[in-house]
Amino acid sequence: MTKMRVNPNRMELLKLRRRRDVAKRGHKLLKDKFDELLKEFISRINANRKLRAEVERELAAAYGLFAVARGEAGRTTIEEALLSGAPGEIVETAERNVMSVRVPELTLTELPEPGGYSLATMPVVLDEALAALGAVAPKMLELAGREKAIELLAAEIERTRRRVNALEYVLIPSIDETVRDIQMKLDEAERGNLTRLMKVKDMIAQQQEADEER
Amino acid sequence: MARVAIIGDSTSVAGFRPLGFAVFPVREPEAARALWDGLLTGGYGTVFVTEPVYAALEDLIAEVVDRPLPAVTVIPGAGSAGGVGEAKLERAIVRALGTSMPITEEEG
Repeated sequence: MTKMRVNPNRMELLKLRRRRDVAKRGHKLLKDKFDELLKEFISRINANRKLRAEVERELAAAYGLFAVARGEAGRTTIEEALLSGAPGEIVETAERNVMSVRVPELTLTELPEPGGYSLATMPVVLDEALAALGAVAPKMLELAGREKAIELLAAEIERTRRRVNALEYVLIPSIDETVRDIQMKLDEAERGNLTRLMKVKDMIAQQQEADEER
Repeated sequence: MARVAIIGDSTSVAGFRPLGFAVFPVREPEAARALWDGLLTGGYGTVFVTEPVYAALEDLIAEVVDRPLPAVTVIPGAGSAGGVGEAKLERAIVRALGTSMPITEEEG
């Protein structure tokens, strides 16, 4: 692990120790967040798989009904009939905070009543097909909201994992190593000082002995 | 309040128009590229794309994946094989977990 380039003195040692404590606390918090995000993510995935299968099945059934309608009345007639209606603002968007991830919440307001085509010339199955689509539309929007939330959670999980790993495998070990290094250098200096003191004391003692003999 | 857009071949998407969806029928999936910028700035909360359109626009859709809105969702078109929406979700799972997750039907 790379050592930091800092002066090996007591001041830096204290500073680094404080930084290590903060990093460890941050690591623990992030790790907890990561675990919680994963739990949320996995429970959402399982619920979503069911919903998607349901939407796909119901859509396929509605497409089938449209195909029958086209077969009965002809493609152009049906397409003309479906030109009725205009795009409107049919979803309510809100934001929800899930573990500090802002996920959109989409709720369908009232769907316009399909119509505007001649009931006399259109096959009954067209009404059924539109009713089937109308029934699947709220589920489609729910699916859209849920899948978006899952994607946003996935991005947050990836970010959090990187942060956790950076702290765990880079920053904290590097601080640890630097602290150890500074500690060793300080100990070495301490020992050096001690030896010097003993040496000086010896020299003074010898000097005194020599003086006394004279 | 937001609008809902749906892009795909006209057979699949035409039926959504009476329900108030903004319908963008395209003959070729690639033609949807020209519509994309308008969809992002048009105040749409959700954009549904059929599977062939998703395959053609994958790179553009990947750019907005981290934005809260619009939520881009894949739906099967009439006559497409299905499974693309599941694959898109699988990518999110791989991104989050670093590995794919087996389908657990009995859970949930």
